[in-house]
Amino acid sequence: MGIWMSRMLSYFGEKEARILVLGLDNAGKTTILCECDLPPAGTTAAAAAGGFDGALFLLPPRLPPLPLLVGEVVSTIPTIGFNVETVSYKNIKFQVWDLGGQTSIRPYWRCYYPNTQAIIYVVDSSDVERIGISRDEFHAILSEEELKDSLLLVYANKQDLPGALSEAQVAEALGLHDIRGRPWAIYKTSAIKGEGLFEGLDWLSTNLSK
Amino acid sequence: MFSLISGFVEVMLRKEEFHILVIGLDKAGKTNVVERLKTLQTDAVGLEPARIVPTVGLNVARMEAFGANLVFWDLGGAPGLRAIWDKYYADSHAVLFVVDAAARDRLDEAKAAFDRALASRDLGGAPVLLLGNKQDLEGAEGLSELAERFGLTGAAAAADARARGAPCTAQPASAHTGAGLSDGMKWLVEALKRSPRRRLVARAS
Repeated sequence: MGIWMSRMLSYFGEKEARILVLGLDNAGKTTILCECDLPPAGTTAAAAAGGFDGALFLLPPRLPPLPLLVGEVVSTIPTIGFNVETVSYKNIKFQVWDLGGQTSIRPYWRCYYPNTQAIIYVVDSSDVERIGISRDEFHAILSEEELKDSLLLVYANKQDLPGALSEAQVAEALGLHDIRGRPWAIYKTSAIKGEGLFEGLDWLSTNLSK
Repeated sequence: MFSLISGFVEVMLRKEEFHILVIGLDKAGKTNVVERLKTLQTDAVGLEPARIVPTVGLNVARMEAFGANLVFWDLGGAPGLRAIWDKYYADSHAVLFVVDAAARDRLDEAKAAFDRALASRDLGGAPVLLLGNKQDLEGAEGLSELAERFGLTGAAAAADARARGAPCTAQPASAHTGAGLSDGMKWLVEALKRSPRRRLVARAS
């Protein structure tokens, strides 16, 4: 009876999805997380983008990373460990896990792979030097058995910086065209300006409900 | 003995899997065409047009239809993303090129993209269906006009088909009403079964 009730409720209510936000260190994953968290459920992308003030980025993530690493004056602190946020958008409750991206902690990403419906892979489009490393990490994720059914959303982030690669160039550099059996999408974003993030979430919500 | 026979029967009944590459300019209605086909040909219901967002990458749709297992690779058509199309050519069995027949001011752009795709060596031997979508809209270009505009009539077209090793034809359709989609796909799958691409073993990762 209880199971039946909860099934009925979930049918009418929100779906839940577990999403991992991955990418090299300094790609902007945590900034994206802070950004997506801001609008309450039901606001439209336009209202969300226009309805808040830039100073909010200067706050650290709401859930502080485990051991804090202080030293750099940046808007967010490099994530050691993970941040988790739940975001409601378009009738889907996204449970977003933002995992630290530094070399030493990348091997721990795989602990979070089971039951993941989607990956948001964040790339620093202006970091041309390390895009090869980003590609290798991305392809390692693609070959993971536990992630073979997850959707792939790529954010070509930091479009506000000069010399940022276009989304087509990032797609090419990451080798997205090697993906044949499952959907992928790439959006250019500027997490710091809040641009492009919601188009990606729209894509996720459409494809997660398929 | 039983396993031998059952294995043989299985091989005989197994449907081949073909990859259909769906390309065309942005806003041509590619994703809508595929979703509509899903509704028409399978028990599943495709996405409502209102829920479809512009494709910026790849959509994958699988369906068992027209006597084959079809995998549709529906690629984004925005100018920046067209560079990615050719990465999929070598592994595609056939091409569904979707045109917005009602957007007359963009037909030249569509023709240029179409010519570029067909000129690719990686698509040699792959049959191509030019789908003149949005026939439900007023002012949509009809079959004869489209065929002529895209050079699919006359001796030159026949010579082209011989050179490419596979036919290319135009089909008016409307993803909105569903008209013409199944007829077009039936032709494409039949053409593909007769084409040298049938034996192509595509890598699917």
